[in-house]
Amino acid sequence: MTKVWHIIKNEYIKHVFQKRFLLSLLSLPGLVLIMVGLGLLIGFLTIDRTPVGYIDRSGTLSNPVPLEENSSIFEPTIKFKPFENDSQAREKLDEGEIQAYYIINEDYPQVLAVDLVFFEEPASEIQDQFDQFVKQNLDAYQELDLQIKERLEDGSIITISSLDGSREIRQDQWYNIFIPFVAGLLFFVVVMTSGGYLLQAVVEEKENRTMEILVTSVTPTQLMTGKIIGNIGVGLTQLIIWLLFGWIGLLIAGQFFPAVQDISISGEFIAVLLLVLLPSFVMIAAIMAAIGATMTETKEAQQVSSLVSLPMMIPYYLSSTIMMNPNGALATALSYFPITAPITLIMRMGFTVVPAWQIAINIAILILFAILAIWFAGKAFRMGMLRYGKKLSIKEVLRKQV
Amino acid sequence: MSIIETVNISKRFGDVQAVENLSFEVQPGEIFGLLGPNGAGKTTSIRMILDIFKPDKGEIRVLGGPMTDEKKNRIGYLPEERGLYQEIPLERCLIFLAALKGMEEGLASSKLKDYMEHFDLYQYRDKKVKELSKGMQQKAQLITTLVHDPELIIIDEPFTSLDPVNTEMVKDMLQSKRDEGKAIIMSTHQMNQVEELCDRILLIDHGHRVLYGTLQEIQKDFASQDIMVTPLSSLPDAIEGVREIRKTNGRFRLVLDEMAKPNLILKNLINSGVELTEFENAVPPLNEIFIKFVKELEGEEDD
Repeated sequence: MTKVWHIIKNEYIKHVFQKRFLLSLLSLPGLVLIMVGLGLLIGFLTIDRTPVGYIDRSGTLSNPVPLEENSSIFEPTIKFKPFENDSQAREKLDEGEIQAYYIINEDYPQVLAVDLVFFEEPASEIQDQFDQFVKQNLDAYQELDLQIKERLEDGSIITISSLDGSREIRQDQWYNIFIPFVAGLLFFVVVMTSGGYLLQAVVEEKENRTMEILVTSVTPTQLMTGKIIGNIGVGLTQLIIWLLFGWIGLLIAGQFFPAVQDISISGEFIAVLLLVLLPSFVMIAAIMAAIGATMTETKEAQQVSSLVSLPMMIPYYLSSTIMMNPNGALATALSYFPITAPITLIMRMGFTVVPAWQIAINIAILILFAILAIWFAGKAFRMGMLRYGKKLSIKEVLRKQV
Repeated sequence: MSIIETVNISKRFGDVQAVENLSFEVQPGEIFGLLGPNGAGKTTSIRMILDIFKPDKGEIRVLGGPMTDEKKNRIGYLPEERGLYQEIPLERCLIFLAALKGMEEGLASSKLKDYMEHFDLYQYRDKKVKELSKGMQQKAQLITTLVHDPELIIIDEPFTSLDPVNTEMVKDMLQSKRDEGKAIIMSTHQMNQVEELCDRILLIDHGHRVLYGTLQEIQKDFASQDIMVTPLSSLPDAIEGVREIRKTNGRFRLVLDEMAKPNLILKNLINSGVELTEFENAVPPLNEIFIKFVKELEGEEDD
């Protein structure tokens, strides 16, 4: 057991304290940061802060209460300027002093409709602000309770429930669909990067013959177990640091976009996620080690490893079908096939209620295949040792007695 | 008790019979030379002893029985093709490999310090392995082989890349390990080192045992009737009982007539007034025996 621990430690330290790990660690949050930053910058630059005019013929805004100043730099409060008549407003619009103007006619209290004159339609946020501006100056509105006012401002939230009540989805819980996608993608990236390290390490150990020393000190199973656990440690470190970045990102985003603060993920989802992802991680790491043990060159091994990475992504290629019919034959079948199982299952859980027995079978299959993959990797190892400089076929590994 | 005992082991890879019916024993307190031309089956035999793979037939007993995990800690192995982690510092690499041999890290660390100092590597302990010279890596690998004080040491070509000073140092170390009672299997093509270090040898060719025994026995078996002499003065042109006189490296090789006995030659030399500092039976160098044997076997095969 101590030997396995030493292998885990060595494997972990060897990879985590390398420049390339640090680079890959920072590259994803860095990329996200740059993209978000760019998005915000574009948003910031494209907001037209020019005031908007209005001509009030209904008397609604005769003594207007101004809008509360908004602190957000991405949605600044626009100034609304009153005009006596059409020609005055039109002149300012031509001069560019206002970006548009509203006309509130005498019959506004009855029809509740206004006209908007512009060269270029103002952003929806600006139109929303004007709505709010008018609304809060209506007599009827001012007489309302504060609570009702707040409800009115929040608007409607539609909740769709299944007939048996097992599942419901709310309009504002968009992240329920978004999170499985992101979780699956993160899992894929983490598994493939750390699996890639493992693959490379095994091929290198074979190439520089460290392997011969290793197998005369420990059993192939000890070696495999140590390497796989060490590798998962590397992957989890990456994942935890990314999640930490994500969490900090959400905390910061929450300051600007209140909707982000409402995001919550159920404990049940996280538990199933762990139960599905851990054996998948072990299985894929073991497959990577086995590929490394049977190949003679890193480049070649990496090419072969795409035989694992491509099928893993199948659920993404078929995501529209899975989304339309998450309990259909295709989705169910994909979640029973070990390589596609983790991502398919996570996706399905985002769109529907997956029967518990199916989840149980899924997890059982994954655990079984994880064990099989470790056994296979151990065997491939012994065979690979025997055949320096030569490739091995899967058939040979399965058939031959070493 | 033998440290290693192989009984009729065979191993085949596809069409190649790497080892066939090979039996030998290695005793504690000896340096055992495992010799043979390239592709003779030496490395295959070593790998079977180390349980890297199993023989198709036959039995191997290591340290009194079949190989176990615990026994792996009592064996030191220097493979022919060296392998150390290139990207990590030397000391960390050595500590890791020692830990895999069951050494507690603290003890490993202090013993490694002694070894590194002995082999002049201590000042390089924080350098990455790939930054060290070939000779230094070779010494580092030797340290890995010896640091856990194994009872059985298997070394494949231990002197490659070593300068004469380091070669001498390694030889001394191997001899002192033998004196401590350790069993050492040394596979090498450097016959002069075998002559100097080995107590017994096994010569294999095409997986078969060709020669097996103590170095003296084997050399005696191959000794010719020839006599080596080193005279102080010059030798007479003709000596009774001597068919031919050959000069080699300041010594003379006397090729005797078929019936002539060494005693008679000595008597004749003294009678003719030659002063001698050396008179001995010509022992054939191992190199010669090796080449003769391997060529003979090749000849047999060609027939």
